[in-house]
Amino acid sequence: MVREADPGTATLFSYPMPIATCPFCGLLCDDLLVELEGDTLRPVRGACAHSRAAFSNLSSAPAAHAASRINGQSVSSSAALDAAAQMLSHARRPAIGGLAMDIEGMRAALTLARRIGAVMDHAVSSVKYRNLHVLQEAGWITTTLSEVKNRTDLLVLIGDGWHTRFPRFIERAIEPDPALFGTPLARRIILLDQQAATAAHALPQRYERLILKAPTAVLPELLSMLSAMAAGTPVDAARLVGVDTALLHQCIEWMRAAKYGTVVWAAPDLEIPHAELALQMLSRLLRTLNRSGRFAALPLAGSNGDLSANAVHTWQSGVAFPASHANRRVDFDPHRYAMPTVLARGEADCFLWISSLSAELTAPQYNGSTIVLGRADMQMATPPQVFIPVATPGVDASGALLRTDKVVSLYLQRLRNSALPSVADTLAALTERLEAR
Amino acid sequence: MIIKLAGANVIDPAHDVSHVVRDLYLRDGRLVDAPGAGERIEQTFDVSGMVAMAGAIDLHTHIGGGKVNLARALLPEIDTRDLLPASDVTEACFGGAAPSTLAVGYRYAAMGYSACFEPAMLPSNARQAHMEMGDTPLVDRGAYALLGNDDFLLRLLAGGAPQKRINDYVAWTLHATQAMAIKVVNAGGISAFKFNQRKLDVDDLHPHYRISPRQIITALTRAVQELGVPHPLHVHCSNLGVPGNIDSTLATIAAAEGRPIHLTHMQFHSYGTAGDRKFSSAAQRIAEAVNAAQNVSIDVGQVVFGQTVTASGDTMAQYRNSGLANPRKWALMDIECDAGCGVVPFKYRDQNFVNALQWAIGLELFLLIKDPWRVFLTTDHPNGGPFTSYPHLIRLLTDRSFRNDALATIQPDAAAQSTLKDIAREYSLYEIAIMTRAGPARILGLEDRGHLGAGAAADVVIYEPQADVEAMFRAPRYVFKDGRLVAERGELKAVSFGSIHTVKPEFDRGIERELDDYFARYQTLSMASSKIGDDEVRNLGRARNLLVHPCRAT
Repeated sequence: MVREADPGTATLFSYPMPIATCPFCGLLCDDLLVELEGDTLRPVRGACAHSRAAFSNLSSAPAAHAASRINGQSVSSSAALDAAAQMLSHARRPAIGGLAMDIEGMRAALTLARRIGAVMDHAVSSVKYRNLHVLQEAGWITTTLSEVKNRTDLLVLIGDGWHTRFPRFIERAIEPDPALFGTPLARRIILLDQQAATAAHALPQRYERLILKAPTAVLPELLSMLSAMAAGTPVDAARLVGVDTALLHQCIEWMRAAKYGTVVWAAPDLEIPHAELALQMLSRLLRTLNRSGRFAALPLAGSNGDLSANAVHTWQSGVAFPASHANRRVDFDPHRYAMPTVLARGEADCFLWISSLSAELTAPQYNGSTIVLGRADMQMATPPQVFIPVATPGVDASGALLRTDKVVSLYLQRLRNSALPSVADTLAALTERLEAR
Repeated sequence: MIIKLAGANVIDPAHDVSHVVRDLYLRDGRLVDAPGAGERIEQTFDVSGMVAMAGAIDLHTHIGGGKVNLARALLPEIDTRDLLPASDVTEACFGGAAPSTLAVGYRYAAMGYSACFEPAMLPSNARQAHMEMGDTPLVDRGAYALLGNDDFLLRLLAGGAPQKRINDYVAWTLHATQAMAIKVVNAGGISAFKFNQRKLDVDDLHPHYRISPRQIITALTRAVQELGVPHPLHVHCSNLGVPGNIDSTLATIAAAEGRPIHLTHMQFHSYGTAGDRKFSSAAQRIAEAVNAAQNVSIDVGQVVFGQTVTASGDTMAQYRNSGLANPRKWALMDIECDAGCGVVPFKYRDQNFVNALQWAIGLELFLLIKDPWRVFLTTDHPNGGPFTSYPHLIRLLTDRSFRNDALATIQPDAAAQSTLKDIAREYSLYEIAIMTRAGPARILGLEDRGHLGAGAAADVVIYEPQADVEAMFRAPRYVFKDGRLVAERGELKAVSFGSIHTVKPEFDRGIERELDDYFARYQTLSMASSKIGDDEVRNLGRARNLLVHPCRAT
C-alpha cells in the first residue's frame, strides 16, 4: 500500500555537521567548517575573506541580539510589526525593494506584494537585466560550475569579478583538474580586458595565458570583431584602439582550437556605455563558435539572492523583475518599475526594503516612509521609521538559495540558535496583520 | 464531513465500470462506501445525467525545473499576452507558451486534472524542480529523475560495473532527488554533445566512454525492473525529430530486451524518409510494433498548431533545431556533468508540410495503437503544444467527422499522405477515461488514484454530456480534489496544494562511499548537499502528503 513517508526524518542520511554552506556570494561554497562558541561563528576552513568578515560581523553581540526599532528607538518585535502593518495598510502605492533573501522569503514577499499591490524589484536587478535583456533578445549558450571544473580547456575572463566578487571561483572551478576524462586539461586562459588583467596574479601559474588587455570600454567592438573573425569574415583589426592585432589573432586561434571554451564575467563589472551591446556580441560569438565546436558562457551572479528572488518571481508569476502587482494584475516592465525610477519619480508612498544576506546592501536614499527588514548588523545613515532585524539564511535560519549557474540550489542549514525570525516568518506575520484589518 | 454525488453516471475502467448510475461518497479526502444510516451527509450534489470520472493524470508534462523557468524568462512578449487576473481565490499570473506555476495549477484543475508528473528532473536541479512544483497548486506532483547522460553512470557502464551497483545508484538517485521514476533522454547523446558530437545512433559509441545508447537503455530498463520501481524506464529516444528516426525508435524498443519500457512523445520519433520531401509518417510501423509488444507503453506528444516553446534536456536535438526558432532566439545549457537543457520557441503551422504531417502522425498513433491502457494523451507540454489543448484533442479522437474536417484544413500534401482519412476509429468515453485516468495510474503504480473505488483519493470530476466533447472536457461541471470542490464550470472555487508522489526502493547504501568520493573529486557541491530530505521536500515542495509508493518485490 502507498504510505506517508516516515515523519521526522529531517534528512535521508546524516549530514556531516558542522560543514556549512556560505550564503555570502553566488558560489554558495558548501565546504566551510564553522566553529560555534556562544554566539560566535568562526569559519576554520573554506571561507574567503569576504565570508570571514560576514561571519565575524554576525558574531558581534549586537548582531546576535538586535532589537526592532521605531525611529531608532528599540521596541518589541510585535510593536514593530504593528507599526509596519499600519504603514502598509495606508499606502496607496507601496514598493518592495532589496529582496536580498532566500527562496522562502521571496515566496512570502510575493504573497505580501499581491495583498498590497506593490511594485517589486531586486537591489541589483538593473545590473542583472544586462544578462536577462540579452537572453530575451538573442538567447544564450551557458554552462555550470562542474562542467567548467572538468571540461573547460579555454577560460576567457572579462572584468575581475571572478576574483573580487567571487573570491573562490578559481580555487573551486579552475585550480583543480580532476581529469574526469582521463587526461589532464591543458587549460589556457585569456584575460580579455584591462580589468581582467589586473587580477592575473590570482590565476594558477601552470596554465598558459594570453593577456589581451583591451580597454574595457571597447568590449562591444572587440566582441563584435571576434564574432566576425570566428565566422571567417575578414575584419580590419587595426580599427580597434588599444588592442594588439597579433594578440587578437592569437585569441581567435585559441578559441577555435578549444575543445570546450568558457567565457566568465560578472555583470556589475560592465560599467561601460553599451554594456548590453557587449553581451549581445558575446552571445553572437558563442553561437558562431558552436557551429563547429563547443563554447559556453558562465555569467557569475547569485549574490544577495538576486537569482533566487528572480527565479521565484518568474515561476510564480511568469515574468521576471521588475514588476507591479497593483490592481490584482501582474505587469512586467524593466524600465517603468525599476526601483530607482519608481523612487525618483515619487511613485511610491511606502517603501519596504528587505536585505537579510548583506549588511552593506542598505535602502537607497528615500524621503517617504520606509520599513527595513535587515540583517541584524546593518548600519543605516538615516534610521527608517521601522527596522526589524531578520535572520540571515544559512546562519540564523535555514533556507534555500540558487547558485550562480541557475541550476544548482542548496539548502542552507541554520548554524546557531537565534531569536531572530526568518524573512518568511516576518512577512507572514505582516501579511496576517494586514488581512486582520 | 461526507459529500454525496447523487446519481452519477460512473465511468471507472479500473473496476470495469462503464456508464453505471450510482452515488459517490467523499469523506476526509477519500472515496468511501455508502455511509451507515446514522451518519450525516453534509452536502449533496445532484449529478444525475452527468458523467463521473476520477481526476485526470498527466504523466508527461514539463511543469517545473530550470528549463521551464528559462523558457518563461525567454519569452515575455508571448507570455504577457495571456494574463490571468486575480480572482477571489486565485492570484494574478501569466499563462502563455511557458505558463507560470500558478497558471499551470489553475488551468489543469479547471480541466479536471488532479495529478501532473514532471518527466525530466535533472538530479542537479531537483531541488528547484520541487520548489517550482511546490508553487503549482491544486494538482498532485511527482517527477522522473533523469539519468543516462550523467558521467557517474557512464563511468560505471564504461568500467563494466556489475548490474547490482548500477541498481544501487539508480535507487540512490530516486531517494536523493525525491523522484517517482527514472527517465532517460537521448541516452548518451547529451553527454556526447558536450564532446562536440552532433549525432549518436543507438549503436554508435559515445566518443569518450565507448559505450552505446543501447547499452545505457538495457542497463537502465534492467535496473528499474530489478528495483521493482512501478513505472517502466521512461525513454526519450535518440534522434528526436530526425526523418527516418523510426529505425532508432525500433532499436530502442529492442534494447529493452522485453522488459517494461515507456517511450515518450512518440510522435517525434515516428518519422520515415519516403516521398519527395524525404519526410513521411512511420506511425503504422510503430503502432504495429507497440501492438505486438506488451512490454511497451507510449505517450504521443501530439502537435497542436500555434505558438509554443520547446524545452528539453536533449541539447543535441535542440541545437540541431535552433535554426527553426520562432521567434528567433534560443538558449542552451550544459549542466553539471549531469545532463543539459535547450529552450527553442516554436510555431507549428498548419500550412507547413512538416508540421501538418507531425499533427497527423500523432493522431495516427492514437488511433492505430489498439490498447488504450498503453497509450496516453500528452502534447509533451509545452513542446508539442499546451496542455490546455487536451479537450480539443479528445474531440479529435472521439469524433471522426470533426477530425476529418480538421484534416481538410491542413497543408494538402500532408493531408493526402496521411492515412488518417481512412481511419474510422472513434474513442469512446470509456477509452478516454482509460488513457487519461486508469491507464496512467496503473503505469505509474498509483494504487489510490485514477479510479473511483472506496479508499481512492477523492479526486472526482463531473462532466455534463454534450455533443461538443471539447466543451464538455474543457469546463467540467464540478471538480473535486482530495474531497473538496475546487472548480465549477471552469471557474476555480478553492485553492489548496496536492501531494508529492515518490518511490523509495531498497538498496545497498554502500554506494554512498563511492558517490561521496565522486562528488568531492568531480562535482562542485558535496553529496550531502545534493540530497533532498523528506522534511525539506515537504516544506519547499508544499506537500499535503509525501507519498511513498511501494516497489514490487523481485
